[in-house]
Amino acid sequence: MRLYTPNGLLYPVKVTRLLRQPGDEIEENAPLFDYEYKSKVLEGHINSKGHLEDKLVERTWPATFESELEGSLTSLNLTVGQVLTGKTLIADIEETCKHEVQFGGLCANCGKDMKEVKSYNSTVKGTDRATINTVHDRHGMHTVLVSQDETVRADEEAKRRLLDQRKLTLVVDLDQTVIQCCVEETVGEWKSDPSNPNFEALKNVASFRLPHDSKTYYLKFRPGLTDFLEEMSKYYEMHVYTMASRDYAQIVTNLIDPGRKIFGTRVLSRDENGPEMRKALKRLFPVDTSMVVIIDDRGDVWQWSPNLIKVNAYDFFVGVGDINSSFLPKRQELEAKPKQPTQFELEKAPDGVQADAPPADGQEPQGADKAARKPSAPLTPPLTPPAANGEVSAVDLMVSMAGGQDDNSMEEKKHEHDETLASQLADRPLLKKQKILDAADEEAKEGKDSPAVEEATEILREEGEKKEATPHDHPKYRHNLLQDDDTELTHLGNNLRSVHDAFFADFEKGVSAGDIGRVAELRPGKSKKQTVQDLQNLPDAAVIMQAIKSRVLGGVHLVFSGVVPLGVNVHTHDTVIWAKTFGATVTENITKKTTHVIASPERRTAKVRQAAKKGGRIAIVSSGWLFACFSQWEKVDENPFRIHSDAPLNGAAGLPGFEDKEAGTLSSSDEEAALTETEAENETDGEAVNGSQPTLEIDTDVEEELAKYAPHDGRADSSPTEEQQSEDWDALQAELNEFLGSEAEDSDAPDESDNESSALSSNNSTPGNHKRKRDAEADEAPTTNSEGSRLQKRKKEAMSRTTSLNNMSSAGNLDGAVAVDEPAAADDLGGIDEEDGDDVDLEAALAAELEKDDDDGGEAEGES
Amino acid sequence: MFFVHEMEERIPLHPSYFSSEAPDSIRELLYKRKEGTNTGTMMIVRIIGILEISEPKVAPGTGMALYTISYRAVVWQPFRGEVVDGEVSQVVNNGFFVDVGALSVFVSKAMIPSQLKFSMEGATPSFADNEGQIVEAGSQVRLRIKGIRSELNQMYAIGSIREDYLGPLMQ
Repeated sequence: MRLYTPNGLLYPVKVTRLLRQPGDEIEENAPLFDYEYKSKVLEGHINSKGHLEDKLVERTWPATFESELEGSLTSLNLTVGQVLTGKTLIADIEETCKHEVQFGGLCANCGKDMKEVKSYNSTVKGTDRATINTVHDRHGMHTVLVSQDETVRADEEAKRRLLDQRKLTLVVDLDQTVIQCCVEETVGEWKSDPSNPNFEALKNVASFRLPHDSKTYYLKFRPGLTDFLEEMSKYYEMHVYTMASRDYAQIVTNLIDPGRKIFGTRVLSRDENGPEMRKALKRLFPVDTSMVVIIDDRGDVWQWSPNLIKVNAYDFFVGVGDINSSFLPKRQELEAKPKQPTQFELEKAPDGVQADAPPADGQEPQGADKAARKPSAPLTPPLTPPAANGEVSAVDLMVSMAGGQDDNSMEEKKHEHDETLASQLADRPLLKKQKILDAADEEAKEGKDSPAVEEATEILREEGEKKEATPHDHPKYRHNLLQDDDTELTHLGNNLRSVHDAFFADFEKGVSAGDIGRVAELRPGKSKKQTVQDLQNLPDAAVIMQAIKSRVLGGVHLVFSGVVPLGVNVHTHDTVIWAKTFGATVTENITKKTTHVIASPERRTAKVRQAAKKGGRIAIVSSGWLFACFSQWEKVDENPFRIHSDAPLNGAAGLPGFEDKEAGTLSSSDEEAALTETEAENETDGEAVNGSQPTLEIDTDVEEELAKYAPHDGRADSSPTEEQQSEDWDALQAELNEFLGSEAEDSDAPDESDNESSALSSNNSTPGNHKRKRDAEADEAPTTNSEGSRLQKRKKEAMSRTTSLNNMSSAGNLDGAVAVDEPAAADDLGGIDEEDGDDVDLEAALAAELEKDDDDGGEAEGES
Repeated sequence: MFFVHEMEERIPLHPSYFSSEAPDSIRELLYKRKEGTNTGTMMIVRIIGILEISEPKVAPGTGMALYTISYRAVVWQPFRGEVVDGEVSQVVNNGFFVDVGALSVFVSKAMIPSQLKFSMEGATPSFADNEGQIVEAGSQVRLRIKGIRSELNQMYAIGSIREDYLGPLMQ
């Protein structure tokens, strides 16, 4: 160890004599060299008057420097006469014991007491030599602490061992990742009651008690857990890292791994984690994390470590969440659970109202459901205490994270934890929910549409759980609250295996890229040199994972709409960060590059409408799609997740929501209000029967809606005034849609290249340009034959518009929502302009609109 | 090492126990309080006799009666250099822990003969050589105590098996 002169010396000091030579054995406090220093002291002097007087004088004093270390002196960097002006390295001493491993304040290698202050001479605390805790330890206070060097050594050894076994390390979280636990007595009651609808699902729920705790804990394995662990233990050395208490962690680990064949003693609980509320890989792997993979349902507690595979939270006991979440930072949640039409809902329609939803209709969304439901299930409903839910302000988050530093707050957390459990015991959220379900079943049987039904639907929707497909004429059937249909582990297993394979493929490559001959030569002996070389070439699992993951959503540009709570910075939201780890680019507004809009099914936001207008280019999907991608590590087919696909350009789609509207069961006033003109259009488009009535009704809503949400989002044909001619409106609209469809695609193309877009923006002034465009279009468009008749209709339409245009301009002033959409419309009108140049009235009307277009179009283009 | 040791203890007795049974109560209290505890340097294994119970004095301000009891007990005190037997409770990569009675002793890798190698086979960590010697959780080990440190009611010890006749015991 290096020996420095302490800061406390009265510098400058001058070395006067060396007392030891390199190679000498020195004991503690042995003199190394003599030196002299200067200081000012008061001295009594007799002055000229004969009085005694204090006088400050500078004197030189001799002193001896003593070594605080013992061992053999390997070098002494001093010469006689040298002046030291500050802290200087003076010697290197090879100690007999470096006290690199310490246990309970004792050096584990020599048995010396490290907490003892050895002498007046010590400057370094013995305990400072070993500060790193690498053991998942039962010993609490008496942990084994090791020094940095020792840690590095141990780490290398561990890596070599793993490489020999061709394994990586997997850190597993317990709650909501591989299991879910609750303390609600209801579970016990249901479990012992075969007539209970939840009996099936609860069959393999284990129960246990903790010492000094009267509560019974019910434990549900994630489906396929045993196989998963067994399979993974072939590829990974498994560790448990949980924020639960030591007892809980041990018992749960024993349950999921009887005999401890998989986890051994590698269990780290919050008792060993220290007061922090986060998990740190450094706690277990202080040196190198390149061979570590983490699975956890919370990304924030890991600070989104690159080694993390975030899994969808397992939520079997609905509404219970993570019983140990008091020890974690507050969880951010998506504002709205993706609402999926549940089987229950679909079932209810025929029951409650005499709607004739054909079975084919019911089936389609069901099939989609099955796929869609699972990934969306993990969006946990609020935890029992409302405090743990909803928006978490940044300040809150910081407070809660920083708060965990002292014992008091740990106590608080414990208290909070107890309260959570107590309230769960008292409130029995599961029982309540089941009761609501049962009540709804009763009601449904009687053919009534009641608040209970609504409420139950609400619950089911919240859960986003798939209901078993049961014939609705089954009289005895009660809906079961608990579903056992999670497939996350299957996907996770595959993903982990591919990470493992990729890692060792890289590793092999690295090894063979090195000196092949030498490696081959050394291989049988497994010499140290070779393994050291291996370790240098070691690939990083985090990098490999990132590479694999970023391919998943690479090139995908996401916009979130109606999913992230208002007032939360999109880029700090869990789901968004999660998406980014998969290579997706997230923007706040829809841009040219946007490929997907993640939206909430209940709300048709401005962005959704905007996206719908871009044609098929932007897929509007529920967040279920995203979660499916996260879980499967591939860009899954968007189709089952498409929402709002009744947008005009995609044609009419049999969305369940749409049918519900037809049946008139679920259309709450809210939803009606949320309807926009596009939806209305589509309705009339598909079902000409109820064309005029709802559209007119919606008309006002639209205006409000647009005023609120869509300042520059609209289209010529979306003007409310259009509804005025309802006679041939449907036919016209259909054709217009088609026409616009081809146009819109065209107008999208210029978005790609600036060149064309500028050409387009100037096309109003240069008819020649137009002509060309028109021709090209005619070639492309399959509907060219009907051009004539269509144009006539158009003319008619435009004629009647002349009046409406005036109205419109005033409406436009109001909100700008009617603002006409960019080049598409302009182009369109231009086309007409050209071919029907003799129609003066029309031209005048168009000119008026064109002027508007130019402004708005210009704006829109400037923005996009 | 075990000793018979004489000690003294002052124990307060709550007024509700003031009766003819007071001496029994105070005896019980002593057993409850002291047996199995660690004084910091030694472990009280069992109290084998009470030598004297003093006249109680009422402690000012509380109303509690203070008894001074001298008693004789079997105590266990580990010494540096002592050879003891114990059971391995946990094996980690840089050593293993041995329970010697209530004392937890850590044997670090430097104190383990080099032929005993750490291995993680079958997820049960152990130190083993190829000749059948194995140290894993549950095995009996004889070790020499190399260092002891005591804190309030706690003792820590470091052990070594790097010597002849030390190490895992054959069952």
